[in-house]
Amino acid sequence: MIQTLFLAPGITLRGCTDGRFKQSVLSIQFIRPMCREEAAQNALIPAVLLRGCEAYPDLRAITARLDDLYGAGLSALVRRIGDYQTTGLSCAFIADRFAMAGDQILVPMVQLLRQLFLEPVRQADGFSEAFVESEKKNLISTLEAERNDKRAYAGAQLLRTMCQKDSFGIPRLGTIESVAAIEPVSLMTHYQKILKESPVEIFYAGSAQISQVADALMPLFSGMERCYVNLPAQTAFQDAPTQPLRTEELEVAQAKLCMGFVTPITNRHKDFAAMQVFNSLFGSGQSCKLFQTVREKLSLCYSIGSGYYSAKGIVTVSAGIDSRNMEKTRDQILALLQDCREGRITEEELEAAKLSLISSLRTVHDSPGAIEGYYASAALSGLSLTPEAYIAAIEAVTAQAVAEAAGTVQLHTTYFLKEVGSC
Amino acid sequence: MLRSFPRLDTELHSYRLENGLQVLINPRPGFTKTLAYFATSYGSVHNQFTLDGQTHRVPAGIAHFLEHKLFELPNMDVTARLSALGAHVNAFTSYDMTAYYVLCTGHFYESLKLLLEFVSTPYFPEESVKRELGIIDQEIGMHADSLDSRVFENLMKAMYRDFPIRLPILGTSDSIREITPENLTLCHRAFYDPSNMVLSIVGDVDPEQVLSVVRNVLGTENRVAGKKCRGETEPAACFQSRILDKMEISMPTFLLGFKWGNLDSARESIRLEVIGDLAAEALFGESSQLYLELYDQGIIDGSFGGGFELADDQAMLICGGDSDDPQAVFDAVLAQAEKLAQTGIPETAFLRMKRSALGRRIRDLDSFDSTCFRLCAYALSDFDYFAFPEIYDSVTREDVRQFLLALTDRDRWSISVIEPL
Repeated sequence: MIQTLFLAPGITLRGCTDGRFKQSVLSIQFIRPMCREEAAQNALIPAVLLRGCEAYPDLRAITARLDDLYGAGLSALVRRIGDYQTTGLSCAFIADRFAMAGDQILVPMVQLLRQLFLEPVRQADGFSEAFVESEKKNLISTLEAERNDKRAYAGAQLLRTMCQKDSFGIPRLGTIESVAAIEPVSLMTHYQKILKESPVEIFYAGSAQISQVADALMPLFSGMERCYVNLPAQTAFQDAPTQPLRTEELEVAQAKLCMGFVTPITNRHKDFAAMQVFNSLFGSGQSCKLFQTVREKLSLCYSIGSGYYSAKGIVTVSAGIDSRNMEKTRDQILALLQDCREGRITEEELEAAKLSLISSLRTVHDSPGAIEGYYASAALSGLSLTPEAYIAAIEAVTAQAVAEAAGTVQLHTTYFLKEVGSC
Repeated sequence: MLRSFPRLDTELHSYRLENGLQVLINPRPGFTKTLAYFATSYGSVHNQFTLDGQTHRVPAGIAHFLEHKLFELPNMDVTARLSALGAHVNAFTSYDMTAYYVLCTGHFYESLKLLLEFVSTPYFPEESVKRELGIIDQEIGMHADSLDSRVFENLMKAMYRDFPIRLPILGTSDSIREITPENLTLCHRAFYDPSNMVLSIVGDVDPEQVLSVVRNVLGTENRVAGKKCRGETEPAACFQSRILDKMEISMPTFLLGFKWGNLDSARESIRLEVIGDLAAEALFGESSQLYLELYDQGIIDGSFGGGFELADDQAMLICGGDSDDPQAVFDAVLAQAEKLAQTGIPETAFLRMKRSALGRRIRDLDSFDSTCFRLCAYALSDFDYFAFPEIYDSVTREDVRQFLLALTDRDRWSISVIEPL
């Protein structure tokens, strides 16, 4: 079971003790509002922190320390959760029972995190200039490389087109221009503000008792001067005028069709479970309507699926197709949505959709990473259900409820990426 | 047979059935999910084989096509049936293996029965084979736009002159049009015999019940499987030292490949994999001098990485990532290999690397997917995956130095670069 401890105002430790696992995961996330002014800075900070601290002044020293801790993993954590952006670090390390007699991993691991968070390599009043410049270059490369993966690129272009007024349209890692403008001193000022004001969500899953984890964390937070500022609540999709169809041409072999829909049902809504079942039945997995019809019956694509961004109430559909089949594919997708709205849902489809969701919820407690992924996001996104309560809500969903949920789903924007010169 | 692996805090039941099938069960008491892999030692490179005294050559991409088509059974929608049981089913084809898997949170034995049934039943109606062409054409199209696939496939084309790893796993739009119900049936008969397969299961299951399901579906007969054959002998040196391509991307991407050559025994390959991974870590891993220098100079970024790879009986060392100057990385890796081959690795650094690698493998056991896959893949090479701690114990600094010394042979390296248009 998940235990929650409030370590200090605005600092929450959630965790579960589970002796079945061979490793533990620990994540520390500072919560920020998703906004254009700071998205790039929040994305850059963990990368700079991972470059060096006073005790371990470069990458090699940090990696050697992680090797000593039996190959512990440590990585930057930058998530988008509804209207929030999180910035922090996440680590994974073997349970103490696998270490040589007398060796402990949890305490030195948290000590390393404290050193990275609180004792970064400084230059004058800022971060190390060399670290900042080098990580800016890397982040810019990452942003530029977005278009290397055409499926991800098309999905991001759809959301940017659709969400002109919504935080979902803000790139999670900022823009190239905003990264380029970052200075070591202003970044440090911003970082100090984050340490002081931001709510902090810490999550642990592993073999240690939560009280032990809390004790290990005390040196990290006891030294902080905190003046915590609460964040505004999550909001549903904010509409703004947009292009109903945006087409872009690139040198590609396969076209991508992406359709964005909106619904007033978010994960804070009473009909949330019905909406999830709709999404599963419509476009998730191999037994869904999109896969069975557009791929298996009509051979129009290899990949097709839908996604439901539950914190926002956005549903997207994407398919990789031959550009000549764009209208045909789009019409099929809309016709299948209409089938859902009008209740043309078989008992088998409904049961398969519900079972698929229930199965994935039942496995949440089987992996430390999945536990972290579920609980570290759920609370922030506004979802107040445990996996068990969520399963019960899904079990109760009827075909009628799915049809009603589908009835709220409206097409908003279509984005089409096709090969240069195609018709 | 049940064996304990105290250093990994885990156990393994292993059996070899009358029909030749290997069954491995890694118990996970108290876990909700169960994962089963049913895999054959047959992948895209096995396009020449003998069966019943006759030699056959089949079209590129047929192993993958067969994987798609096996999901059909007469008068039954396999996917729908498994979905109705709450099971998630999927499959993949690699260069040397095809695996089908189900992930369950209930109804495990029923799901296992279906998995074994559809994989062992050849059923390829003409019309359905034709319909699959459109789907796989789109998969080939998606692949053609994938940077990672393109840079890797090009590297294979540069490194190997004859070995069919030169050909894409999916085949080409032309080669898949040579696929017929007849040659699909032939490949199924050659390679989907239980004696050529492994069933590995990770989860809280009853081994006796598993064996009973397996015997009921697959029978006890041990039939003759196809025998893989290879045409030409692959030369030691790379076919081409360099291969260049262009795509709609933002900055150059590259892969360096070292052609180790073919391995005589499976046992040798597992040990070599551990040695190769340690050598890769010492040479260009995140804790290496070279990584730090190149990262500080901005020649590589966080995308850089690599390790030892095996495909069938061919071993290789691969590394790469994004870089504005791939040639500089290549030169630096070779120069550093020469240096380390002379000086060797200090004892403390070596022990630390081993401890780290072991720790990462232990952490990885929490992943059902990775464990199930590795149990399968290693069993197809006749090796117990859970014996890896003993392999680490036996590897010496000198083993790693000898590996690094081999890497100084420039003729066995190739570089594949994709530049922006």
